Amino acid sequence: MISAAGFAKTWQYIQLFEQGLVCTLSLSALTVIFGFVFALFLALMRMSKIKPLSWFATAYVELFRATPMLVQLFIIYYVVFAKVSLPSFKIFGFIRFERFFPGVVALSMNSGAYLSEIIRAGIQSIDIGQTEASRSLGLSYKQTLFEIVLPQAIKNILPAIANEFVTIIKESSICYTIGVQEIMYAVSSTKGATYRIAEPLLIATAVYFCLTFPTSKIIAYFERRMSRGDKR
Amino acid sequence: MATNDEMIKVTNLCKHYYNGELKALDNVSYSISKGDVVVVIGPSGSGKSTFLRCLNLLEVPTSGSVVFDGIDITQKHYVDEQGNKVKLNIDEHRRKMGMVFQHFNLFPHKTILQNMILAPVKVKRMDPAEATEKAMQLLRRVGLEDRALAYPIQLSGGQKQRVAIVRALMMEPEVMLFDEPTSALDPEMVGEVLSVMTELAQSGMTMVIVTHEMGFAREVGKRVVFMANGRIVEEGTPEQIFDHPQSLRLATFLEKVL
Ligand SMILES: Nc1ncnc2c1ncn2[C@@H]1O[C@H](COP(=O)(O)OP(=O)(O)OP(=O)(O)O)[C@@H](O)[C@H]1O
Ligand SMILES: [Mg+2]
Repeated sequence: MISAAGFAKTWQYIQLFEQGLVCTLSLSALTVIFGFVFALFLALMRMSKIKPLSWFATAYVELFRATPMLVQLFIIYYVVFAKVSLPSFKIFGFIRFERFFPGVVALSMNSGAYLSEIIRAGIQSIDIGQTEASRSLGLSYKQTLFEIVLPQAIKNILPAIANEFVTIIKESSICYTIGVQEIMYAVSSTKGATYRIAEPLLIATAVYFCLTFPTSKIIAYFERRMSRGDKR
Repeated sequence: MATNDEMIKVTNLCKHYYNGELKALDNVSYSISKGDVVVVIGPSGSGKSTFLRCLNLLEVPTSGSVVFDGIDITQKHYVDEQGNKVKLNIDEHRRKMGMVFQHFNLFPHKTILQNMILAPVKVKRMDPAEATEKAMQLLRRVGLEDRALAYPIQLSGGQKQRVAIVRALMMEPEVMLFDEPTSALDPEMVGEVLSVMTELAQSGMTMVIVTHEMGFAREVGKRVVFMANGRIVEEGTPEQIFDHPQSLRLATFLEKVL
């Protein structure tokens, strides 16, 4: 099954894995950024006093959490973007934008639904007295949100966000089904060329681990640093 | 028309919960002038906090008006001196009213200094260096200048409340609202907070204070308001209220707390 010769063969295609790594990283990083901003809006909408906004956000979150990621990805790629002609250039000289972009959109829309619930819980965990003190000092709703509530909320939900980021890195592998050249795409290409499967998968496993493990560690570090206001 | 030194005029203020089943405020009218020190007393659930919080609209009244410096802040618009209809921005009025809470509500992720300069810098666009200097002066006044760089969690309850008071003073408010500022404190820390408040009252600050400290109310209050069941039952000087209660309701209340 696994052999030194197999690894040697696979190693000839290591560049595909390097590209896959770059692609997975870009995919996850963009998803994290767009997903978070989107989630923040969703969370605020869901908590809004304006009923239609809150209904929309609730419906959105429930819909995206109740359906499979693969279905969402296919709908975005094959249905929504079927009518849109995206510019076909290559990021870093190899990532096909017209496949990459729908992937980012689908992942962001999906993780936005999950992240918004995390953010909402975080905001609601902050004592209402914080908001009242801030508003009574004359700070606006927005200033209160960004100066007082969010910094404390994000600190509280950092572990949950870290988990979601790690999840995104892993989930992004699904984008291989629409031809985004991430790590699983490298596995499949290498398999086609070498007829080896175990060795490419082992390499992919190692690469994913090297991505997700440090990510959780880095966030744990920041979490410790940000908690200094809690200690005597 | 309001008299010259009338600052806050509350008229027929109501705050209802559960579609009017619970009347937290029931037709309350009261007027507060510049330099007044009004102490609000009354049993638990009588509407003291609700009344105080309606003054700066932390609580939105069901009906009635709160006129502050000639402007009804419960409305969406007001008419300015030139006769133009202007949209009311509640933030502009709130910054003229300082508020001190029972549970301090300092911002735990900011140092004492950052807590104090935040609003002046963000809201009044004050220069941070200037704000810092002002903050240090105020901290000195309450004996906490050496704690400027500490975080709230590192302070005792009494120290936190003193910081909360000077944080509100940073905005140079026209009136200070206190909601049971000493109720969450250990007994030995009540004095230090009350003495800051006494000093503030002596400096001429307009104050509205909800408190259970009857000795303080009698000593510092210029007017005392007794509330029960969402209404103002009696109002008068400390002598009138504490020595000559008119209603049975007040007499029984005083018997319990004194
Ligand atoms: N958000 C709310 N929802 C429902 N009822 C409320 C709410 N806030 C206050 N109330 C009710 O309104 C009434 C007046 O409350 P308020 O807090 O003003 O009393 P208080 O005089 O400050 O009492 P305490 O001395 O216990 O602080 C109480 O019956 C209280 O239960
Ligand atoms: Mg109260």
